[in-house]
Amino acid sequence: MDLYQPYTARNHGLALVPEPGDRAGGLAPWSGHPRIAVYTGGGSSHSWLWLVEIFERLGFWDLVFADEIDVARGALDQVQVLAVSGGDTFGMARALGPRGAAGLESFLRAGGLYLGSCAGAYLPLNSSKEPLNLFNWVPAKITNLSRHLPRARQMPQKFCTPYGCSYVFHPVREETVLEPTGLAPFGVGQSLRAPLYGGPAMIASGEVEVLATYQGFSERTRFLVDPELARQTLLGRAAVIRSRLGRGCLYLFGPHFEHPGYAEANRLVAEAIYHDLARTGWPGRQAAAAEVPRPLEPGVLRDLRRQVSNARVVALGLEDHPARWRIGRKLYEPAKFRVFCEALWQRLRSRRGALPLAGDPEAVEALTAAWRAIAEGLRALKRELALEQDTQARAEALFSAINRATADFMDIYFRNAYRRLTAPAPFRPDPAPGRRLPTGDRQRRQA
Amino acid sequence: MEFLSSDNVGVLDLATGEVSEDELAEDLVAEKIGGAAINAYLYEQHQDADPVVLGSGLLTGTLVPGTSLGLMSAKSPLTGALCHVPIVQYAGMELKYSGFDYLVLRGKAPEPSLVWIHDGIADVEPAGDLWGQDVWQTVDAIRSNMGDEMIQVLAVGPAAERGSSLAAVMNNFWPGADRFALGKALAERNIKAIAIRGMGLLEVAEDEDFVERCVELLAKVKEGAWAGKQGFADLAEAMGRPEAGGWLQPLIHRSRASFNVPFAYNSFAMIEGDPSVLTEPDIDEPGVLVSDPLGAMALQELGLGAAEAAGLLRDCAKDGLDAANLAALCQAQGKTDAAAISAALADIDGEVAAPSGPFSPWAPAQPLLADFGESGDAWWQRRQAVAYIMGLDPIFALMSPELSEEVLVEMAALGTELDITAETLDQAVSSLLG
Amino acid sequence: MGVKIDPLKCNACMACELACGYHRDDAFALLSSCVVLYRAKDRKDYYGVMLKEEESLIIARPEGLEVNRIGAVDEGSSDKGDASAKPMLLREACDLCDDRDDGPLCQQMCPVGAIYQD
Ligand code: SF4
Ligand code: SF4
Repeated sequence: MDLYQPYTARNHGLALVPEPGDRAGGLAPWSGHPRIAVYTGGGSSHSWLWLVEIFERLGFWDLVFADEIDVARGALDQVQVLAVSGGDTFGMARALGPRGAAGLESFLRAGGLYLGSCAGAYLPLNSSKEPLNLFNWVPAKITNLSRHLPRARQMPQKFCTPYGCSYVFHPVREETVLEPTGLAPFGVGQSLRAPLYGGPAMIASGEVEVLATYQGFSERTRFLVDPELARQTLLGRAAVIRSRLGRGCLYLFGPHFEHPGYAEANRLVAEAIYHDLARTGWPGRQAAAAEVPRPLEPGVLRDLRRQVSNARVVALGLEDHPARWRIGRKLYEPAKFRVFCEALWQRLRSRRGALPLAGDPEAVEALTAAWRAIAEGLRALKRELALEQDTQARAEALFSAINRATADFMDIYFRNAYRRLTAPAPFRPDPAPGRRLPTGDRQRRQA
Repeated sequence: MEFLSSDNVGVLDLATGEVSEDELAEDLVAEKIGGAAINAYLYEQHQDADPVVLGSGLLTGTLVPGTSLGLMSAKSPLTGALCHVPIVQYAGMELKYSGFDYLVLRGKAPEPSLVWIHDGIADVEPAGDLWGQDVWQTVDAIRSNMGDEMIQVLAVGPAAERGSSLAAVMNNFWPGADRFALGKALAERNIKAIAIRGMGLLEVAEDEDFVERCVELLAKVKEGAWAGKQGFADLAEAMGRPEAGGWLQPLIHRSRASFNVPFAYNSFAMIEGDPSVLTEPDIDEPGVLVSDPLGAMALQELGLGAAEAAGLLRDCAKDGLDAANLAALCQAQGKTDAAAISAALADIDGEVAAPSGPFSPWAPAQPLLADFGESGDAWWQRRQAVAYIMGLDPIFALMSPELSEEVLVEMAALGTELDITAETLDQAVSSLLG
Repeated sequence: MGVKIDPLKCNACMACELACGYHRDDAFALLSSCVVLYRAKDRKDYYGVMLKEEESLIIARPEGLEVNRIGAVDEGSSDKGDASAKPMLLREACDLCDDRDDGPLCQQMCPVGAIYQD
C-alpha cells in the first residue's frame, strides 16, 4: 500500500484552496497548503535531502530552503513550518547565532511549527553551553550524556561528541524500534521503526509531551557501545517529544523520522504538520503570486543537466574512495558528494515532456555556473586524491558549494512544482515523471 | 520505446555541437529490432552528412549472457561501403546505459574534438591538446580531466592522424575490433576520441520472467564446451591453432571477459614482470591486453617471438594501428623483424585486403568449441548479423549455439512486449546482408 | 553467512553487478548494486570485486580477501584514508537476495562459479 498517496492527494487538494483572506489577528486555524522551510545552512549535513524527498512524496510542495543568512533576513516570516534535520548542532547554533535564534524564537512565538530531528532535535533543548544556550526553549534532558566516555565497540568517529566536560555519546546506529505513547497526533498505534544516527534520547519535564519512546532494537541495529548500556540509555526514554513556545510548537525527533526508507515514520511527520498547523494558525504568510511558469528553452536546461551529470560522473567514481574529511564536528566521506548529485539528477531526469524547471532562465543559468564549478572542483579533488595531496580545504569548499547549489536548485524546482500545481488547468503539470533512475528503490517494494 | 531502451536517438552536428533528440519509435524497433540494423537505417537517413552512427543491440546490457555489444557504423575508408565495427569489452554496455540508444554524428568538427557522451548529453569539446598524443596518453588525459577511470574511451592514435589505412579505433588502452580503418574515418572528421559513461537504467517488460529465463539460459550456456576454458590459448586451440596458444601462453597473466560474456577471451600478455604474480604490478604499463586474438596470431605467423609480438601489439595499441592489417602488410613486404617494424610503424602503410562484408573479420570465421550444424562464410555472416542486431558479443556468438536465433527473438519479444518474430529477425538480417 | 567471492576465478565480466542491480531496481542498472567490479586499473590488468555487507566492505582481489569492518576501530589511523570510512553510502548492503526463492542472483549469474556460499 502506498502510504504517501492519501497525503499527496490531500496536500494537492489543499493547494487549490484559495488563500484565506483577512484572518483576524492571525488566529484563525490554517486550512491551506502549508509553506515549509527546510534548513540547509551551516551545520546541516546532507540529511536535509531526506526531508526534501519525503515532503515531495507526501505532496508538501510549497517548500523553500533557508540557510542562516535567510533566517537572519526574516525568511521565516513567510513560512509556517521550519524543518531542521541532522548535522552538527554546535555548527548550526554557531551559524544561526543570536540573530538566527531571535528570528527562530519570534517565528515560534507567533505560531510557527518547528520539526527537528537528530541535530535539529538537540538544538532547541535547554543547554548551559554557548552558543546552544541561545536556543533554550524545550525543558528536556538527554540521557545519552556521560561524564565518562564508555568504550566504543565500533565507529569511534561516529560514537561521541564532546560536550563541555562531558560527552554526548551514541549508543546505537541504524534502526530502532519505537512505541507511540497514545498522544495525538501519533495516537496509539503499533510500534514503528526509524533510524538513529546520533539523535537524542530524552527525559521530558514540565509540559513537554512524550509522543513516542524507544522500545527496542532490531536486527538492523548496530551497537556502538555495550548492548546493556545501550538498553539503559535508550529504552523507555523519549524518542519524540512535543513542546510549546508562545503560539508555536516544536516536535523533536531523536531518530530520523524523515528517512525515506521509513514510510510509517514519514507519515507521522505529515500528521504532526496537520495537527499543529490546524491549532496554531499563522498570520505571516503572503499570498503567493499566481504566476504561470514559462517553459525554459531546452538549451538552458540541457546546460544544467550537462554540468550536474559531469559532477555525477566524478561523484560516482569517488564513492568507494577511502578518504574522509573532518568538517566541524562531523566526518565527511567522498560518497556524500554522490548523495547531492543524485538528489538533483532524480529531479532533472525528464528530458522531454514536463520540464522540471520553468520560469526564470537567469536563476537556472546561475545554477548551471555553480554546478560547472562543482564539477571542475570534483575533478580537481579527484586528481589531488590520486596524487595523495592535502584535500581538506578543497573538500570543505566543495561540500559547502554543493550544499548551497543543491538548495538553490531545490528552491527553483519546488517553486515551479507548486506554481504548476496551483496554475490554471491548461498549465497543470504533466504527471509523467520521466524515466526511472537506478536508486535501489524497487518498483515492487514501492507498489 | 519503453523497454530495453533509453528512448532516445540523438543527432549531433559535429560542426556546431548542436544536438537534436527524438524518441526511439517502437515501430522502428518492431521492424529492425536494433543494433546494426537500426544503425544502418539511421546511416541512410543521414547519408547526406556522411555520418558515423553509434548504437547498441536490443539486448545489450541485459542479463542475457554475452550481450556486451555496441556498434560504430560508417562508410569504411577501406571498402567505401557502410560497415559495422563492434564496440566490445565494457564500452558497448556503457554506451547502452549512456542515455542514448543511438547517436548519429553528422559532418565534421571544425577542430580536433572529443565527443563526450553521458546521461543523455552528447557534447563536442575541443581536444587540440590531445591531437598528436598516443592512444594511451589520450585515455589517461580524458579520464583525468573528466575525473573517472570508468569512462570508456574510443580513441584514435597518431596512425589515424597521419591518415593511415591501418588506423583503427581503439577501446581504451587496448585493440578494439576495427578492421575497417574507422580510426582514419574519425580522424578525418577531427574526432580524436569518443568518451562514454553509462549511468542509466533500462526497464524490462515482464522483468521477472525475463530474468528467470536469463538464469536458465546461462545454465544451458554453461554446459557448452567452452566451460572451464578461457583466454587466448583455449581460443587458439578451438580455432585449430594450438601452436599460437602455446606461443603466447608463457606471457599470459590473467584472462578477462567483455561485459557479461561468459568466456574470457581477452588475455593479458605481461611483457615486464612475472605473469604468474597476480598482485598489483608496480609498473604502470606492464603489458598488453590481447583483445584482438587474430591480430596476435597474425604476428605469430610473421615469425615473431611472443614477447616481441606483445611489445608490437602494445606499440600498435598506442599508435592506434590494427595489428592484423599491419602484419598482413609486413608479410607482403617481407618485414619480419619486430624491432625494425616497431621503429618504422609510422611509415608502414599501403593497401590492405578489405573485408568482404559489412562485419568486422575481428571475430574468427568459424564456429568455436561448438557445433552449430553448419559453418562457412554464409553461416558466419548471418550469425554475425544476428549478433550485431541483438547485441551479442561477436566472438561468444560463435561458441553459444544455445543462444539461437529463436532464443534471442524470444528474449527480445519478452523484454519489450513487441511483436518481434523470426520473420522480423530474418528481415533485419536481410537488410544488413542484402 | 554472506556470499563469497573467489577473486582468482573471477573473469571481470560484471554479470554479478548487473544481477544485483536488477535485484535492487527491478530493472537493468548498475548504480545500486552492492557487488561491484573494481575496474579502475585496467592498464595493469588489476581487478577485483567489492561487496558491501551490513557491517563490512569486502574486497576480493588477487592478493586475497580484505575485510574492512565499516566503522571498525582502526588503531593509529589518521583522519584520512583508513578503512573505517563509509564508502558506497547510497548502496544498500547485501541482503542475500532475501526475496528470491532461488537465493543470490549474483551467484546464479556468475558464469565461472566465482561467487559461492559456504
Ligand atoms: S546476494 Fe543479492 S543482494 Fe547480495 S550481492 Fe548478490 S545479488 Fe546483491
Ligand atoms: S559474475 Fe563472477 S566472474 Fe563475473 S565479475 Fe562477478 S564474480 Fe567475477
